[in-house]
Amino acid sequence: MVIIGAGVVGSSIARVLSRFEGSFAVVEKAHDVGMAASARNSGVIHAGINYAPDSLRARFCMEGRQLLQQWCRELNVPVSICGKLVIAQSQEDLPALQHLLSQGEANGVPDLHLVSREEATALQPGVECIAALHVPSSGVVPPYAMTLAMAEDAAANGVVFHLGCEATGVVAAADGFVVETTAGALHARVLVNAAGIHAGRIARWLDPDAPEVYPCVGEYLILDRQVGERFAMSVYPAPRADGAGLGVHITPTVEGNVLLGPSNEYVADPEGTGCTQCTSDRLLDEATVIWPELPRQLVIGAYAGIRAKLTPPEVGGFGDYVLLTTPEHPNALHLLGIESPGLTAAPALAVHVVDGFLSGAKLKPKRADRVRIRRWPDRFDELSEEEKARRVAEDPEQGDIVCRCEGVTKREILHALDNPLHVRTLSGIKFRTRSMMGRCSGGYCLPRIVEILQNERSWSPDDFFLRGPDSPAFAGRLLEVNRDTARS
Amino acid sequence: MTLRARETDVAVIGGGPAGLAAAAAAADAGARVVLIDRNPHLGGILNQCIHDGFGLHAFGEVLTGPEFAARYVDRAREAGVEVHSDTLVAELTPERELVCTSPGSRSRLRASSVVLAMGCRERTRGMLRIPGPRPAGVYTAGTAQWLTNMENIRVGRRVVILGSGDIGLIMARRLTWEGAEVAAVVELLPYPSGLPRNITQCLEDYGIPLHLGHSVTCIRGRDRLDGVTVSRFGEDRRPIPGTAFDIPCDTLLLSVGLIPENELSRRAGVQLDTSTSGAFVDDRYMTNVPGVFSCGNVLHIHDLADWAAEEGERAGRAAASHALEGLATGGRSTLATITAGEGIRYVVPQAASKGAKEVLISFRVGAPDQDRTAEVLADGRALASETLRRAHPAEMVQMTVRCADGLNVDRLEVRLQ
Amino acid sequence: MTRKKLTCILCPNGCELEVSHSGEPTPETIVVEGHTCPRGIDYAIEELTAPKRTLTTSILVSGGTQPQASVKTACPIPREALFAARGELRRVVVDAPVAIGEVVATDIAGTGVDVVVTRAVGRRLNDTSRPER
Repeated sequence: MVIIGAGVVGSSIARVLSRFEGSFAVVEKAHDVGMAASARNSGVIHAGINYAPDSLRARFCMEGRQLLQQWCRELNVPVSICGKLVIAQSQEDLPALQHLLSQGEANGVPDLHLVSREEATALQPGVECIAALHVPSSGVVPPYAMTLAMAEDAAANGVVFHLGCEATGVVAAADGFVVETTAGALHARVLVNAAGIHAGRIARWLDPDAPEVYPCVGEYLILDRQVGERFAMSVYPAPRADGAGLGVHITPTVEGNVLLGPSNEYVADPEGTGCTQCTSDRLLDEATVIWPELPRQLVIGAYAGIRAKLTPPEVGGFGDYVLLTTPEHPNALHLLGIESPGLTAAPALAVHVVDGFLSGAKLKPKRADRVRIRRWPDRFDELSEEEKARRVAEDPEQGDIVCRCEGVTKREILHALDNPLHVRTLSGIKFRTRSMMGRCSGGYCLPRIVEILQNERSWSPDDFFLRGPDSPAFAGRLLEVNRDTARS
Repeated sequence: MTLRARETDVAVIGGGPAGLAAAAAAADAGARVVLIDRNPHLGGILNQCIHDGFGLHAFGEVLTGPEFAARYVDRAREAGVEVHSDTLVAELTPERELVCTSPGSRSRLRASSVVLAMGCRERTRGMLRIPGPRPAGVYTAGTAQWLTNMENIRVGRRVVILGSGDIGLIMARRLTWEGAEVAAVVELLPYPSGLPRNITQCLEDYGIPLHLGHSVTCIRGRDRLDGVTVSRFGEDRRPIPGTAFDIPCDTLLLSVGLIPENELSRRAGVQLDTSTSGAFVDDRYMTNVPGVFSCGNVLHIHDLADWAAEEGERAGRAAASHALEGLATGGRSTLATITAGEGIRYVVPQAASKGAKEVLISFRVGAPDQDRTAEVLADGRALASETLRRAHPAEMVQMTVRCADGLNVDRLEVRLQ
Repeated sequence: MTRKKLTCILCPNGCELEVSHSGEPTPETIVVEGHTCPRGIDYAIEELTAPKRTLTTSILVSGGTQPQASVKTACPIPREALFAARGELRRVVVDAPVAIGEVVATDIAGTGVDVVVTRAVGRRLNDTSRPER
């Protein structure tokens, strides 16, 4: 079986499959997992208020959020059920709140309450609103950590990840499919297309009538972790009828950063994750309306992710998920338009794919003792002082803090390089450890990491890549010992 | 060496010029001093500043950064300072307890006085919100300097530098000497922010174009940088439409500002001044947290390491006095506030002890100017004044206010007449 | 008449010199104003006729705790010689330990000037089999 795409959906499916006997491979064109939308979203565990009750989005959100929390417990990925306020900024917003309340209740979302302005500001001081819908069951999770943890768990349990391997074609064959890639061809009896923004194009290799998927970019700004001390709940403005996304939100992260965004703009380029000046300014301006005390000077970074939308630019809004098989190719499943609540839904989609679509494959579960959960490592910085002292005494390299902003130890950096996906990029180290994600953006820790890897792992300057072979960090050595050098 | 839970008189956090000078001064004053520095070798940022221009004021010599640092390292060692390198202070409490971590050891140190001398970090692309994708090849100038001078790495082949501050100018020259092509230096302001001698020696000597009143409006290249878009900016600090041009390059260095590194201070309850991003201090360099002092770049960004070291000496002496004798911490009524008035960007210290016979004030002007008089006013009366033949925000100015009978006003204001 | 502003770097005063000359700059035609002492005149004349610069750069160290030592020319050398000097130094490797002030090259690029170490580098004590970087 081949899965195309190692984003959160593909990695979730891989994780479920890794508990079964069989040969499973994931083909991913980037040089790490989760490098597209899966790492570049708000990291929200949705409660289920935003979706029509009979939709797939609602179903997979409600099932997914439970599974996600369970998986994250198993994998040791941190989760925070911090709650959300959907705020009304004017009277015109009130019907929207009411609609979300009813819709949420119909989906089985617990503890939904409309609250007054005073109650809202008691929950989240500084918020400007006239009323709000309090959604206690909404939460956040680091999306990159979750995707990596699931993929590495799958890899440690036998799923093969072909990274840097782009699918270039799929043809039906006698016993299934031949998946052509930039690194050779794979045979698969069953094919799952979880290629996100490229899923529509790939689906049309087999089914010319498969729907179009439209790229829609969402830019974000990241605020310093100290901001999370003051802003600890998600705050969303009530959705307006014409919006293609959910509006400019303020979302805390588990680590204490605060995210502003996402924006919404259909783009032509499915890889175009550049940030723009006007959107960046707009994010700050609109977020300041919601939170007038927003400390604009504490922006530390920006990123952008691309949604895979099924609705074209002239229509906007959201389309429901499409899980597509055709009578001609019953053993190919295409997951199309998996945008928000894609992160939340991914585990449930995975279970559905394996239980439903793959039920015909009669997969045999592995014996329990043949499965070992590969837990995401503890973040040293989050441990208690006693535990930190104990670990440092046992393992000296845990006393060496390499990333000062995020408190990442040398041990964590070295461990990150020993990952089961064999990823050796700077971005790979970054997303596995949080180093280079702090307020100085690697200004201090990057040279330290470079020094450690040159000294202790014999890396040369040409071994450092940001995300893959096309993004070399450096241009070689400054000075080389060669036959012309003379001893002084 | 392992630090176990123990006490000392003065703990100095940071072994750059300010911390080294503070430690030596405190030890010379008779205090037991522990100096903690996260790098393997003392000297802080000076170890990578292999250019010269240091020591003109402190030693009457022209030294490189490492040579300057070595002088202060020697002083600290001769004074008997206990040095812990490769050690990071992970936490500082308001009760002046430090949690220190180093390979193999995590321990606590309690000090009667703490001197904050952690220096600064650089403003990043993310803080500037420079549009475009996020390719490899974008570095802050100081990080590029470390990679070049300490790690023997060539950061790139064709370089654009944003910001005409000294670090950017120095790196323009350094990279040119190392065979890179520096295509341009781009500066938002209509005047350069670095020292005039660096404009000469780093740009004019090599014919490197300097685009004043310009900035980078877009980064280009998905995986590795392949160019930047530069536009002329108006007085409203917005790009002027139709003025954009592209400069092909594979490396962008950012020399766009330094930020005092006060996260430890903030968590310890030290009040910070938004105009400096450093602590509020009085004339003894003590912060609002009793026994916690601040000096050097973590207090306010210095243009010369000589001044940072001198400031460190003053803070170190005060820290020792406090540890050995206890300084009066009488609160607001015993302090006169010092504020920045017309034409002044910031002042340090922001308060002075009443009764003080002499108060040294460091400040910067808000814009370049010539033949202005800077004065320190109290109730409309000038207690000190100095003519600045040329004043530039990049050059820190110091003035001493002398009160024979001791300072007895509530407020001092520094302003340009 | 060509006018140029120079900042003298010889002492902390940093006098802003106004230097003017008609035609080619020579010691005879250059007029210097704004100096506080006679050294400023010499500096201005030199800067316009035969500018000198101190080269501050790095060289490889073998067996050290760091791959490079920083070095400088012991005094300023003619500006035209800078690239040649750096080129010569690219071919120099010193063995650790090296101390500040140690001479690593003499008569660099034919200038008669020594090059000295400005940053001490200790000997790497453990695992000398690690590759040079």
